[in-house]
Amino acid sequence: MGGYVRTTSQSSALLGGLSITHPVLKVLTASVQNHISRFSDCGLFTAILCCSLVENFQRINFAACTVTKISRHLLSLCTDYLKSEACGCRISVDFDSIKTLLSLVHSVLASKPACMLNKTEANHLSTLVLKAFLLTIPHTVETNVVLGKCVIVPVKDKRVMDSTVFPGLLIEIPESQLARTFPVIRVSSSTIKMALFCISLSGDLSNIGEGTVIVHHGISLEVAVLDQLLNLGKQLINDQVGLVVCQKVIHPSLKQYLEEHRVITIDRVGVSMMEPLSQLTGSQPIAALHSVSPTCYGSLKDLRTESFVSKNFLHLIPNDTLVCSLILCNRNEMAWDELKLACQTAEHVLQLTIKQPLALLGGGCTETHLASYIRHKSFTLPASVLKAIDCSRTQYQLVADAFSRSLECVACCLEHDDGEILTDMVYGHFWSVQSGFPSDCNWSDLVLKCGCGICSNQQNLNWTVLQSQCIPFTP
Amino acid sequence: MASAASLDVGRLVQEAEALASAVRGALGPRGGQMLLTRPTGETLLTRDGRRVLEALNLGPPTARMMVACVSRHHSMTGDGAKTFIILLSKLLRGLQAILDKREGSPFCEDIQRRESYQKHCHSLKQISQSLMTFQTHILDHIMAQDLRKHFLSAFSSWEGEISRDTMESILEAYFCGRIGNSHQKLLSQLSCDFYYKCISFKNGRNEMLNLVNEYFVELHSAVTGLPVSNSRILEGFVLHRDFAVYCPADGDIRMLIVTESIDSALSASGLEFVVNAEVQYQASQVWITKRTEAIMKHLQNNNIKVLLSSVKQQEIVIYYAKISGISIVECLSSEEISLLCKTTGISPFIPTRDNICSEITETMIAKFCQPLVLGSKRYVHLGLTKTCAFQPHCVIFCGPVHGVTEQHASAFHGAFKMLQQLFKAVDLSDGCEAQPETPVNASKAVHCNWQHSATQQKLIMENISCNREKVNGQQLKTSMAETEKQFIDFSSLVGENPSCNQTDLQKSADLAMPIVELESDFMFSALIDRGSSVRELQKPPVKCQHPSETWIKNKSEPVVTNHRICNDAMTAIENTSTSVVSKQLNAAKEYWKPGNHIVPFMYEKSYKHTVQSYTNVVIQAGSVLPVGGNFEILLHYYLHSYAKQCQQPKITLISTVIADALLSIPKILYSTTKENSFTQVFFKATSALQTNQQLPMHQEGLESVYCKYQLVASVLHCVAKLLTIDLIIGIRRLPQKTEVNDSEEDL
Repeated sequence: MGGYVRTTSQSSALLGGLSITHPVLKVLTASVQNHISRFSDCGLFTAILCCSLVENFQRINFAACTVTKISRHLLSLCTDYLKSEACGCRISVDFDSIKTLLSLVHSVLASKPACMLNKTEANHLSTLVLKAFLLTIPHTVETNVVLGKCVIVPVKDKRVMDSTVFPGLLIEIPESQLARTFPVIRVSSSTIKMALFCISLSGDLSNIGEGTVIVHHGISLEVAVLDQLLNLGKQLINDQVGLVVCQKVIHPSLKQYLEEHRVITIDRVGVSMMEPLSQLTGSQPIAALHSVSPTCYGSLKDLRTESFVSKNFLHLIPNDTLVCSLILCNRNEMAWDELKLACQTAEHVLQLTIKQPLALLGGGCTETHLASYIRHKSFTLPASVLKAIDCSRTQYQLVADAFSRSLECVACCLEHDDGEILTDMVYGHFWSVQSGFPSDCNWSDLVLKCGCGICSNQQNLNWTVLQSQCIPFTP
Repeated sequence: MASAASLDVGRLVQEAEALASAVRGALGPRGGQMLLTRPTGETLLTRDGRRVLEALNLGPPTARMMVACVSRHHSMTGDGAKTFIILLSKLLRGLQAILDKREGSPFCEDIQRRESYQKHCHSLKQISQSLMTFQTHILDHIMAQDLRKHFLSAFSSWEGEISRDTMESILEAYFCGRIGNSHQKLLSQLSCDFYYKCISFKNGRNEMLNLVNEYFVELHSAVTGLPVSNSRILEGFVLHRDFAVYCPADGDIRMLIVTESIDSALSASGLEFVVNAEVQYQASQVWITKRTEAIMKHLQNNNIKVLLSSVKQQEIVIYYAKISGISIVECLSSEEISLLCKTTGISPFIPTRDNICSEITETMIAKFCQPLVLGSKRYVHLGLTKTCAFQPHCVIFCGPVHGVTEQHASAFHGAFKMLQQLFKAVDLSDGCEAQPETPVNASKAVHCNWQHSATQQKLIMENISCNREKVNGQQLKTSMAETEKQFIDFSSLVGENPSCNQTDLQKSADLAMPIVELESDFMFSALIDRGSSVRELQKPPVKCQHPSETWIKNKSEPVVTNHRICNDAMTAIENTSTSVVSKQLNAAKEYWKPGNHIVPFMYEKSYKHTVQSYTNVVIQAGSVLPVGGNFEILLHYYLHSYAKQCQQPKITLISTVIADALLSIPKILYSTTKENSFTQVFFKATSALQTNQQLPMHQEGLESVYCKYQLVASVLHCVAKLLTIDLIIGIRRLPQKTEVNDSEEDL
């Protein structure tokens, strides 16, 4: 009885949570999960397509190697078509205009119903995610472009509409510290020097070695180390450092000493924050207690405090933004987890879009379009290809049909309200109509827009019910 | 607690057949995949016979022995696990049939024992012995005598270069068997590319193959979640670690290998550090920091850009490396370190008091050294400039699940093991030397032959000289007006005659060996010297005279599709050797005539040796045969014809059993195809052999003869080993204190 309940619409959470016993399904889920780990999105699409392919191929009952050979060829047809300029179901993403990018993000977020976003919330979040992504792109483009980082800061028990994006980093600090910190030492009005430590400043004895260390009576190594730490503190103050951040723990005495001299200290930031911190400020993590080289210091434009609900943050404002913080709010823990996953997926999709600035039509149109393309191709395949695959034309067409059906099956899964799905015979797009229409009515009276929204109701589009027997056409 | 049981051949057959049925479905290009599940929930998708057999966790000790034999064979040749177990089961079944017959069987005749059990054991031993005799004496001879003329050569010329077409068809056939026809094209292309990219010069082939096989784990990486078609070859090494520090560098990058921590600790093992005062402790800490800084500065002054470390370095080292602009890769495996050392020939750098100031020489130079993201992992990509015979390249396997990438990687590794075998040759003498204790039967056989050979001697000599005249005559003829037909006649003539003689003679010579051991060694060396000089003299004119050489060079067709070229090329070699032999024979005659009382023996031996030094190669390096059960059908045919001629009933019986067992492989291969049923294929092949024509080819692709030969030999060994088991003792509880006793004895 009892236990953790999770509502989700994400394949990664769904497949990870299922306990599967059938060996074939195990292989299938493993490959879907590996797909998600590479591409973040489209796990459910992959899973449904895989299952319906297996189902449809089993139904035609050919020798396994014939089916493999033909479907391999069909796959190459698909990828060649999708890569070609003539492809009718892809559009190139223009990074100059925000529209395509925004709709890309929006479709990722909107396709996760368990996030429970309404329309305005989805729009707001899409804008934030896109804004955060644009902040991570460096201003100067060199040969090796390294994207910055977007750190997601959790704030629960607040409305989604309260989410915001900050350039720079937000580091949570206890409230007690907040009062003591300001004003800070500044080098100039717009520069604060910062030192970043990756070793412990707690005064532990380190690297004793494998042998024994004999300490004479009355001598305290701890005092010796603390002495060194305070010396380090002196150097930092002399160097006009305004902010000291440490990955590990800072000794309370050193902390106190630095704070007395108006230096802000933040410790225990953890290893995951080290990279964005050093990226943000240009500082190098210091690992020495003596003779710290001044070249290792970084700089900040400004330091501020921000507070959200019950949390207090120190806002590190950089000179050059590469790192940003997305404060993500949602009503409860579970919904927040789901939303965070969706935002990360959207961010990854945007990153992949930079690599290949192409997008496919959504709303089921790509699937139906591709299915009709494959059907059409299977009828016009030259005999030489059939000979190379070592199969008959009928065999090829049957496998191609099963393949197309599987694609259409994925499209059908988009219709949740028990409606009818149509496809047009010109573009091969996806059209959804509500059920319960009279049998004698004209299709064109019922449809409004296709799934992706590119085509609207025109005459002569020649609708038919999807997956009904029809003559192949050239999409 | 122990239970003992005697060996039951019936059980052996059952076990082997159960194992064979487990893998039968995946044999050949049209075979499928197997999905194994473990009680722990793991699944294994594979087509690899060895993986399947090893995953079975078998109980019966004899079955485990069989699997061990399969594994050993597979790890050597990289192929043939499924064929092995199927052949084994058929062979055992055939032997069981012999044992069941009892009456009239040559293995039960010569002893009159009352107890049937002992009799049974005895006949098992006899079978085992005859199998070994067969393997060491008859198999090689049949290979050399009969099968050899069917072999093709993978080399396009006799300098030992292998053409890309041939390579591809060999690899394609291999991957067809290993992973089926789903991704075989891609993988064979990939491995072919890899071979040609890695080889830096022709003679470094074996060295390169050895390195690739030894360090294959380091030379490949797997990425899951990407399509298989993304698999590719990268130039240079991929070190399976990320940079601890990365400082981009251009141009020639000097690198250093270290195997210990650069930062020194306060104390070392076996040493004590005494703290007298707080200041002293602080001073020593400062000294350590300064020392590390000094070393890093020294490296920077020596223009070292990358530090490859096998151990984890202290944070302080990383800090100073960052300041000095030195990249560090830590925690490299010892294999990676030794691979780097081997390819570049440098040794690790150890910072000591002395060399801290001197110049660093043990460095390697890289074209590039940069981070590489594969899947979700970050690696180090390293391109070395100066290397040995191996041009560093590595493979990246992509696939939807781990099982697929692993399967591809193991098939890829197997392909390189197979290539290694492909370039091996088998000598007749090898087989004899490997088996120092000649079985009783063999020596008996030799005895019989020996009696004959005295009378045969003269005949052979005449035969040879006659041959020689013919050869010369023919050569002249062909050089003047060569027609292909004549050439082929000639080739069959030369191809068969000397090797026939050779086999007879060799047996007799075997016996002569011990008698003249001392002298022969000395005289042999003289003879060989002479032989080689004669050969050198003799070879050039033959080469010039012989049209076949030029003919081969002029022929533009690829080797794969043309059997004849290779066969003829083989003949060309044989031809030179025969003529050399005939010359040599005369030379030997003159050499030994001056009143020596061991002339008859020596004469015999010298002849044998000269023949052997040129034609003792059973399988020449790079010998291949078309795929599709051709080897099995050929061996079957010749074994049968050998069995018909053979005088000894035991060997006849054994040969027939082996011949029949061999046919099971093509039977399974052709069971799924529609156009070519097995009976058709077999009938065509046999009728072609009877009329001395070339075998018809059904599939494209070539396979290494050496691997096949090794397979048959290994199966025979395995059966022989299984049949010599007297008693199987199962020990339930581990004997106690054995380990302690052992270690004490060792000391």
